[in-house]
Amino acid sequence: MTLSVTLAFIAGALIILSRQINGRLAQSTSAMESSFWNHIVGLAALTLFAIIFGGLFTQGAKDAPWWAYLGGIFGVMFIASGSWLIARIGAANTTIMIIAGQMISGVAFDIVMGTAGNLWARVIGVALIFVGMWFATNKR
Amino acid sequence: MTSRPFHFLIAFASGCLLTFMLLFNGTLAIYGTLLLSSWVPHATGTVAALLILLVLRPKRASLQSPPLWSYLGGISGALTVVATSYTMNTALAISGTIAIGLAGQLIFSVIADARGMFGFTKRLPTMRDILAIVFITAGALVLILFGAAP
Repeated sequence: MTLSVTLAFIAGALIILSRQINGRLAQSTSAMESSFWNHIVGLAALTLFAIIFGGLFTQGAKDAPWWAYLGGIFGVMFIASGSWLIARIGAANTTIMIIAGQMISGVAFDIVMGTAGNLWARVIGVALIFVGMWFATNKR
Repeated sequence: MTSRPFHFLIAFASGCLLTFMLLFNGTLAIYGTLLLSSWVPHATGTVAALLILLVLRPKRASLQSPPLWSYLGGISGALTVVATSYTMNTALAISGTIAIGLAGQLIFSVIADARGMFGFTKRLPTMRDILAIVFITAGALVLILFGAAP
């Protein structure tokens, strides 16, 4: 348990480390170029991992709908905007606003799709996030 | 500083992108492995970024070449995938992995800002910054841990 908690924590820190490194690259190049390098280097690393440890392909993968293969398009925009933002509003502001956006859009998406959920948790969670965003964006 | 609300809006919007990315990659993970659901978007993302670069041809911001290590952000991202695909299969499951991951993201963000890591402007959190972090984290935790149908 200690190992998995430590790893989950490190995984979170690595997301920020990655954004910082990409942000540094974007300062010398461009946000989109840093996103390109992030993806191709990450692809190489994951390919190496798959070659050594396996676990990449399974029988069912070809049954997935075609559009499920296109998530990378969102990833490219996401990495590019993160690289651009970090030099402008810093790591913490970037992180909390991304988390806020992900959480609120996630709830909205679930409601639109009719996914069952705990109503009170949704109301309280979204309200807390809005208060937090008010603190983040209103700085005299 | 004047364009601050605009930057915050962009950050919020890119968080919204994650919901769509999760839908796409998550669908892939139902059919394939967790590793595949990260390998594929890295591959399609590489192609998409290359096409965008070819069309837009953005100018490089500086004539000086960037330090070599700054090309390695993708390794850190790939390690995230490997670490989380391990922790999701432990007692932490998805919600625990995300909740603890949030703590890792926020604590490292604040440290990175405070130290001006990688040459970025040093930023110490103000009282408002801390309140923003506390409220947004609390809201996220409520949604992650209790948001599912009872």
